[in-house]
Amino acid sequence: MPELVVCFKWVIDEAYIRRTSAGGLDFSSVDYKISEYDRNAIEAAVCLRDACGGSVTAVTVAPPEASKGVKDALSRGPDRAIFVSDAIFKDLDSSQTAAILGEVLRGKATFDLILCGEGSGDAYAQQVGPRLAELLSIPCASYVQKLRIEGGQVIAERKAGDFTEVLAIPMPALVTVLPDIASPRIPGVKDTLMASKKPVETIGQSELGEMPEARLKTVEVRASRMERECEIFTPEAADVARFVGALQKKGVLK
Amino acid sequence: MPGVWVLGENKNQSLELLSAGRPMADRMGVHLTSLVLGGREEAGDHIAGGADEALVLPPLAEDQSLDALILVLVQEAREVDPDLFLIASTYRLREVAARVASLLKTGLCSETLKINFTENYRSVEMERLLYGGAAVERVVCLTRPVMATVPPGTYEQAPIDPAREGQTREMKETPRSPCKVLERRARERRTRDIREARVVVCVGRGMEKKEDITLARELADVLGGEIAGTRPVTEELHWLPEDLCIGLSGIQIRPDLYVGLGVSGQIQHVTGFRDAKIICAVNRDANAPIFGVADMGIVGDLYDVVPKLIGALKK
Repeated sequence: MPELVVCFKWVIDEAYIRRTSAGGLDFSSVDYKISEYDRNAIEAAVCLRDACGGSVTAVTVAPPEASKGVKDALSRGPDRAIFVSDAIFKDLDSSQTAAILGEVLRGKATFDLILCGEGSGDAYAQQVGPRLAELLSIPCASYVQKLRIEGGQVIAERKAGDFTEVLAIPMPALVTVLPDIASPRIPGVKDTLMASKKPVETIGQSELGEMPEARLKTVEVRASRMERECEIFTPEAADVARFVGALQKKGVLK
Repeated sequence: MPGVWVLGENKNQSLELLSAGRPMADRMGVHLTSLVLGGREEAGDHIAGGADEALVLPPLAEDQSLDALILVLVQEAREVDPDLFLIASTYRLREVAARVASLLKTGLCSETLKINFTENYRSVEMERLLYGGAAVERVVCLTRPVMATVPPGTYEQAPIDPAREGQTREMKETPRSPCKVLERRARERRTRDIREARVVVCVGRGMEKKEDITLARELADVLGGEIAGTRPVTEELHWLPEDLCIGLSGIQIRPDLYVGLGVSGQIQHVTGFRDAKIICAVNRDANAPIFGVADMGIVGDLYDVVPKLIGALKK
């Protein structure tokens, strides 16, 4: 029965990021969430377990504040979690996150298949999954839309642009999945209660090797600009006619 | 021999990357090498498009995908030690890029929208979006080679000069990956490429049921455009094919006119059409973020407004 691992990221909910008048970003009222793509990955892992047996371990690398995210992840069906947590695990680049996950998974977990979301909701670099596969020297397929385990292999359908490739991948393997792999559940009260009873192994930086160095350095982050007129019309017939007139003037009608 | 490398999944993508790479190679005083997936017969086109060298990648067996090339690329990169490696951001090449970067122990800037030199031309600086498009990040890579994936369409294709001369080299290795391709299926395309449409009417979650999409279709017909959807409407509810999903992780469009119907304006979606000439929206909620990024908006029930709009447009 397959041992499944699903990686997730606890990210800033970008809906709460404000733009300052100086063009900077105001994070003062932000909330956090499990990256959307990863919720679907968690659901895919749980569905696979329900179909094939085995177990699901959810793993994240984050500062201690993300313990809420670990509980959230567990309320979505995994059997246990590994919380790789340290105050210095902030603003990691993809190569660092992958290196830390690699070290943890090599030593702490047995796995047949690792699932990751296609990318994270904040940086969307889409690198941690493929990098992790390379660090663990296991085969990898990205942007998978359908997945099953058959005869000790993973059969994965992945998007390749204008066509789909169906791959047979020997296990252990890693896949990154697109959101349509599975729709995430909305955890109920019972799920949340059960989540608090599930085992969580917390691993700090001191239990790992040297902190991996960043390969990319951020020089600047600024708010992206979208300056539009924002003229508002009412649904009254006269206003709708005025709206159409304005479109005409802008030269975008045939 | 250092240099600038480019890799596209097809010739057009390579020509775009050649036009991004040429000025970088000139300024660094190094060769521009195009890694050719299309076989030896395509090499001349890459040279005509600005490459000093066309490095023809070995052919792949029928049951092999692009990941079979990872070790070939890594081996060549270790020998040549390129300065900069630009890769077209396609589904398969994004994965190849990340795995090559991991093996070369270097940084990779994903979905790069601008590549430039820092002041004094000391290093390469790249720009990309963060937080679903709410922010722009500038990064430098601290290791060699500097790697970046660049979305197709970011750069114009390089001009073709048939008289240009360059070297062609063929790689001989037979690449193998443990992943076996069992089948390749053309993806069902039920629609025209939405990127070509002059007008796009986009359906959001404010639309109550699948059948009501005909309303959007009618408006699109009157405007001479096509319909598309947000991620919930395409990838979650499957009311429209996923080829019509507009957004950061879907398709990016630049139409003359974008009209959002019942679209709230989540940043990931907005990033998909931010360069549209005119942005319009119809939404019941006056506080919907879409109105903050629209040129014109109608605050009202789309079921009331859209028929009125169609009527007014027909006049």
